[in-house]
Parts: sequence; structure tokens; C-alpha cells
Amino acid sequence: MASRRTTTVAPTPRETAPSPPRQEAPRRRTRTLERFAAYVFVAPLLAVFAAFYLWPALVTVCSSFFRWGLLRPWSPVEPDRWRFVGLDNYTATLTDASFWNAVLNTAVWLIVFPLLVVGFSLLVSILIWYTSRAGAVFRTVFILPMTISLAAAGVIWSFVYNVDPQIGVLNAVLDRLGILGADWRLGPLELHPGAWLSNPGVLHLGFADIRLTNLVLVVPAFWAFTGFGVITLTAGLTAVPYELVEAAKVDGANAWQAARHILVPALRRPLVVVGVVSVIFALRTFDIVYVMTGGGPAQDTMVLALLLWQQAFAFLDTPQGGQATAIAVLMSAVLVAGSYPYLRQLIAGRSR
Amino acid sequence: MTAVGRSRWATLLLYGSLTVLGIVWLVPMLSAVMTSILPISQTRQGWWNLSPADLTFGNFARAWDQGLSKYAVNSFIITGLAVVLTVSAGSLAAYAYARMAFRFKATTYFLLITTMIVPVQIILIPMLPWFRTLGLNAGPQEYLGIALVHTAFGAGWAVFMLGAFFAAIPEDLLEAARIDGAGWFDVFRRIALPLAVPGIVSFAIIDFVFVWNDLLLALTLLDRAHQPLTVGLANLQTPHLAQEDLVAAGSIMAILPPLLLFAALNRFYVRGLFAGATKG
Repeated sequence: MASRRTTTVAPTPRETAPSPPRQEAPRRRTRTLERFAAYVFVAPLLAVFAAFYLWPALVTVCSSFFRWGLLRPWSPVEPDRWRFVGLDNYTATLTDASFWNAVLNTAVWLIVFPLLVVGFSLLVSILIWYTSRAGAVFRTVFILPMTISLAAAGVIWSFVYNVDPQIGVLNAVLDRLGILGADWRLGPLELHPGAWLSNPGVLHLGFADIRLTNLVLVVPAFWAFTGFGVITLTAGLTAVPYELVEAAKVDGANAWQAARHILVPALRRPLVVVGVVSVIFALRTFDIVYVMTGGGPAQDTMVLALLLWQQAFAFLDTPQGGQATAIAVLMSAVLVAGSYPYLRQLIAGRSR
Repeated sequence: MTAVGRSRWATLLLYGSLTVLGIVWLVPMLSAVMTSILPISQTRQGWWNLSPADLTFGNFARAWDQGLSKYAVNSFIITGLAVVLTVSAGSLAAYAYARMAFRFKATTYFLLITTMIVPVQIILIPMLPWFRTLGLNAGPQEYLGIALVHTAFGAGWAVFMLGAFFAAIPEDLLEAARIDGAGWFDVFRRIALPLAVPGIVSFAIIDFVFVWNDLLLALTLLDRAHQPLTVGLANLQTPHLAQEDLVAAGSIMAILPPLLLFAALNRFYVRGLFAGATKG
């Protein structure tokens, strides 16, 4: 029913192209429909795709060359209201300190998040592979958070991070250990365990200060996403026969060597998948930051996805809409260019 | 598998470390569950000091009355509509991409696949004026509007994942039906579709979880009367309002439907993700 509705919205152009002779119309019509069956099959999805992805994406790219605000958005059908500014939105963005702050925070995500996901899910899936029973139970435990929305994950972790040691589990533990509210300095590293969402610490790098609040926000995302890695890697390991590792042990290899030289090489492809998908995930980060800190305190946890959203939707009358679209275009370009080899591989694996 | 030649210590270490990691993994969830079923006075003294006599479901009732019911209904409408649209349009298209030849196949496939990578923000900004033009910006049409955006953004996954299931159907089966004179539509409806049902169920679950959990699109495109639970939860979550009990109850409500679906159809969920992740 639903697909029929979208079909009527945009009939395939192909369907009507060759007009069959009038006589014996019904049979001829079914045969013509048969010939162009593939177009009929793809038409509903492609119609929705064109109307709600391609077209708006195109408008975004175009509007990034104009000056406009949300109250008077750029419109492709009103040329008399266009204020063409060339690359101004891009140069304004690239010279904006808040943009580079968001780039730095996003970079923390891009480095730490995939490492955590890949490292942890590799460890867990190898451990699970070694178990002879209850493997499925352990796997389910690690997959469970995957079904939770990032908004809910953010809320849940706000409880864990609560500063009050009577409410927050983490601070309750630190309190027992007697290190709650400590103030440490280790060279360029400054740590304040306990103040998780306000100021847990800073890494002074000379040219930039990395706020550890970002790491605090990476953890819930990692918690919610690692299930994907565990599923992918445990599935990849099912192909490895246990005897292979047994044989290596007979030859004198320890468990660590067996894992390194037999299990990890067997996982090369799944590891690439997990790595690439988690990089994409990290660059798109919005929900966790929006729910937990809103990009604050100050701009400490502002990431690109949230920055452009705020520029587009929080400042109603300032003409920053163009800059927001510029960020969106830059992010998408980086993602598509960066994952192009992966895309090619995906498509090559499918073409037949 | 029997662990030949593995010492008792190694076994203990293996299961011990998995158990510890597993418990740590569940603590955040436990924390939310406990906060949701304890009165706030009890939560303030540490939920780990609970006394069973204090357990209550009052938080859920209050959260429900304070507007979460409306959000929950919206979540179900949006998710149901989006999943039906994506699965029906998606399986038709996925069949064509997996089994048929047509012009612009490679180009359109590439474009569809980019939805798996490009951030939603690329379409977000012109979307509100576009909805206004199409008349999808007010009333119940908003549900259809956001469901269509979800369909467009799920298109890449749909074609990719469902395509894997259609591609796995043996060619002989389809060929035999073709030789018997069945048209493409008959072959699809009578043979391919029934055989792909497990795959379609897997995809439907994953799509359900995905749409249910969306915050960004709903936050941007919908007015207050049509927003789903994720937005309701984000609105509740104001740090200085001290309503942990309500927030916790709300988060459990938001988690529950996808979690139950996952529990009931765990096998399908895992299989679907695996097919999407490693095939190709």
C-alpha cells in the first residue's frame, strides 16, 4: 500500500516512453511493463530518495554560496532574493575560531572512538571465542546497549557521571578510594577526577588545549556502539577452527601469540569494516553531546555536527545559515572522500 | 570445544575477566533501572543502598502523565510508518539491484550507498522550507514527512542489506519460474519475496531500532505535538531541575520497545547486522 502511494507521486518516465499499438492493449501493456520491470521496481525508492535526499542535498550545496538566515532561507525558485557571496561562507568558516575548536574536539572523537571500539571489541570477541560455554550470554551482554538510543545512553551516563557521590556510581567509587576531588598535574596533563561533565582535566599541548570532557563523552558512545564491533568480529571468528590454535600451542606458542598470529590475521576484513564504520559514526556525533552537555561548558565539547546545527537553527536572524551549510558540505566531502576506497570495495563486492 | 591443555588458572582468568567486563557493562543500565524504580529521596542516598520495601512504579506513572505518553504514541507512529515505507520500497528496489540489469544501475547504486556515510546534516537545513512547500510541515502530515526522510536515508542500507538476501537466492529457482513463463512481478512475489522473509525481518528490526532512536531529524523537523520519545527525553534532561526519577523512568520507556524487539528476535537482529557488515 505504502509503495503504491509513492509510485503515484512519481511514475517512471520509462514506463510511458514507447507507446504500444492500440489493438490488444492489455496484453501488450503487461509485456511493456515486463520489459521495464526493473524501473518499476526501483521507482518508488528512487522517487523518495530523489525528493528527500538528492534534492535537499543539492539545495544545501547551492545555498552554501549565498548569504541567508533561517528566517529568510535561500530558495532555489526566488532568484531576485539571492545574495551571491561566492566562497565567503567557506572562508568565514575556515577563519572562525569556534570552527577550529569544534574541529579539534571532533578530532579527539575521530581518534579515540575508533581505537576504543576496535580495541575493546577485538579483546572481547577473542575472549568469547576462547570460551567453551556461555559465549552467547557474554556476547548478548555486550550487544545489548546497541539497541539503546544515543539520547537515552546520554541520559543514562549522566546518572553514572553525576557529581554527587550519593547519586553517581563513578564518584561513589572514587569517594571510597579517597581520590574524589583530587587535583593532579602530570607534566602537560591536568586532572580533576569527579567533575566529569564540567572540567575533568586538560591536556596542554602548547598549540592547543585538549579538554578531557570530550573523552568523558566518548565513553557513552563507545558503550552504545561496541556491540556492532562484537557482532562483526565474533562472526568473523566463527570461521577459525579451534584446532588451528591448539596446533600452534603444541608448537609452543602461548595464548597471546596464538591470538596475534592466527586470530587477528583472520579478522583483517571485519576489522576494517568496524574501523571505517566507527570513524563515520564519530564524525557524525550529535546526540550524545546535545543531550549531555549541549557543547558546553563554554565550547569545551562542541563538535562539528552540533556547531552547524546551532548555527543553522539556534540563531534565527543572524545570517549564519550559509556558514552552517558550508560546514555540512565540508563534513560530507571529507566523509565521502575519506571512505571512497571503502565505498568502492562495498560496491565491487556487490556488482554482478 | 573442549579446552585441551588449558590450565585451570587460564580458564578462571578467561571467565573471570569476561564476567567483570560484563558486569561493568551493565552497571550504567542498572543505574538507570534503579533510579527509575526508587523514590527520589532514596536515589539521593545512593541507589546501591536500596531497601526493597521502597521499590515503586510511581515514577513511571508520573512521567507518563507529564506528557511522555504523547511522545510514546508519536514514536510508534513515526517508526511504524517509516519501517513500512522503507521495507516495501526497499525490498522492491533491492531485488532489482540484486537481480536485474538496467540503465544507470551503478550510478544510482553509488548514490544510494552514500546515505550510509554522509551525515544527515547535509539535507537538514533546507528541509523545513521544503516541507512547507510540500505541505508536510503541519498536522499529521508531519509524520509522513519525517517517515519519508527516514526512508530516503535508510535507502542505502535497505538496498545493501536486503540486496544481500535477494542475491543469496539460488539462480536456478528464479530461472525455472522464468522459463515457466512467470513475469518479473510473479517471480518476485511468489518466489523471491517468501524466500527473503527472514532477511526482511532482520532489516525491519534494524530499521525500527534506527528510526526509533533518531533524535536529530525529529528535533529539527517536527513541532512539539509530533515529537518522539528521544526528543521528550532530551527535553526532560535539564541538569538543574533535579528530576532524576522522571528522567530515569523516561529513559527506560524509551529503551524498552527496541530492547524487547531485540530480545524476542535476537537471532534476526544479529544476522541482519552481520550480513550488512561483512558481506560485500
